[in-house]
Amino acid sequence: MSTTATDHLVSPDGKWYWDGVAEEWKPTSQPAPAPTENTPSAPPKPSKPELKGLESFPGSVRTEDLAYGQTVLVWARWILIGTGLLLSFWAPSDLVTLQVQLAAIIALAFGNFYLHVQLLRGHPAIDNVVYGASLADIAVVTALVIVQHGFSSPVFIFYFAAIVGISVAFPTWMTTAYTTLIVGSYGIVALSTATTDEYPAVFTRLLMLAAVALCGNLFARHESRRRAEAIRIHDEMLDDIEQGVIATRQPTPAAQVS
Amino acid sequence: MSPNQLREVRTTAQAEQEDVFFGQTVIVWARWGVIVAGIALVLWTSNSISLLTQTMPFFLVLMAMNFFFHGRYVMGSPLNRTVVVAASVVDLVLITAIVVFWPGSHGLHNQFYVLYFPVVFAFALVFTRKIEAAYTILAILLYTGACILRATVPFDFGPDDKVLVMRLIVIASMGFLGNYYFRIQRDRLTKASRGSAATTPAVAQR
Repeated sequence: MSTTATDHLVSPDGKWYWDGVAEEWKPTSQPAPAPTENTPSAPPKPSKPELKGLESFPGSVRTEDLAYGQTVLVWARWILIGTGLLLSFWAPSDLVTLQVQLAAIIALAFGNFYLHVQLLRGHPAIDNVVYGASLADIAVVTALVIVQHGFSSPVFIFYFAAIVGISVAFPTWMTTAYTTLIVGSYGIVALSTATTDEYPAVFTRLLMLAAVALCGNLFARHESRRRAEAIRIHDEMLDDIEQGVIATRQPTPAAQVS
Repeated sequence: MSPNQLREVRTTAQAEQEDVFFGQTVIVWARWGVIVAGIALVLWTSNSISLLTQTMPFFLVLMAMNFFFHGRYVMGSPLNRTVVVAASVVDLVLITAIVVFWPGSHGLHNQFYVLYFPVVFAFALVFTRKIEAAYTILAILLYTGACILRATVPFDFGPDDKVLVMRLIVIASMGFLGNYYFRIQRDRLTKASRGSAATTPAVAQR
C-alpha cells in the first residue's frame, strides 16, 4: 500500500494532511517523514518496483489482469493439449503427421506444466514467457493446419481456445496484435489451399476468430472498470468513516494552526 | 461503523442483475458477429433470387432484434435476464438451422458451425455456472442433433466421428473457459467491493 502524502486525508483547504501513524495533522508542504527505528509500527517506505516481469505493463491493474488471465490461458492450453493427444491417437492419417502432432503437443505440455507450476506457487511467469507461450500455441496450431493440408484441416478450431485466453489476459492492443497474427497467418494458409467455393467458409472462420477476441477483451475491460469503481466507492466510504473519527478527536485542523 | 465492518452491500440477486447489465453488451457484440457473417454469406453464396429472398429475412429479423437490444443497452435500460436468455437460445436455434438447411452441405459437412463459438463464449461470460452449463449442453445437443438429423455422422469411430468430437470439445471449452474467467472476475469484484484491491490470483492457487 502506498503511503505518499496524496493518499492521505487532506483538509478542505488543502494545506493539511492527516498522518495516521503519528495521529496528527501535518502541513502538506512538508514532506511525509521517513519511518525511523523508533516507530516500528510505521510501514516501510515502498521502493519503486523494478520494471520487470509482470510489472512491465503500464499501470498495476493490467499487470494483475495478466496474472489472473494466465490461469485461463493455462487451462485453455491444457484443453488444447488433452484434446490434441486424444485425437492424435484416434484414426491417425499417416506417420509423419502423427510424429509432428505428438512432438508439438508434448513440447506444449512441458511448457504449460512450467507455467502452471508457477501459478500454483503463486509466482505468475514473467511477461515475455507468457507472450512467448501464446506465440507457441499459435505456431503449433498453424503447423498442424499446414501439415494437414490447410483449409481442410479440422484442427484450426484450436485457435479459438488460444484466442479466448489471449483476449481476457492481454491488453487490448496486444490482443489486437495476436488476433491479427492468427487471422493473417490462418487466412493466408486457408485461402491458398481452399477452392473458390470454400472462400465463404474461410471468411466465416476468420470473422468468428475476431468476434471471440472482441467479446473476451470487451468483457475484460468492462470488468476492469467495474472493479475500479468498486474500489473508488470503498475508499470514499473509508474516508467518510475516517473523517467521522477525526471529528470526534480533533475538531478542526485550524485548531493546530492557532 | 468501522472499516472492518464494511461488507458488500449488494445481494446476490442484485449482483446477478449487474452481471446481466454489464455482460449484455458482450452477447450483443457476439450476435453482431453472427449477423454480419450470416448476411455476408447469404449475399455471397446465393445463386438465385428465391434463395436470397428466403434466407435473408431470418438475418434481418435477428438484426432488428439486436438493434433493439443494443439500443436499450445504450439508453441505460437493458433487458432482463429472461429475455437475454431467450434471445441467446434463438441464436442457437438459428445457427442450428443454418447447419441443417444451408444449401450445399449439411450437418457435419456444413462449415458454419463456427458460429456457435462466439455465442457460447459470450453467454458464458454473463451467466452463472448452472445456466451457462445448461446453455453449453444445449448447444452441444443441438449441433449433435443437427449432424445426426442429416445422417452425416456414421458412428463408426472413424474420421468423421473424430471431427464431431473435436468440435464438441471446443464448444464445451468455450463455455468452460468463459465461465471460469467470469467466476474469477466475480471473485475479484467482491474483493474490490470489500476493499482488498490488491488481490492475489487465489483462483490459480486452488
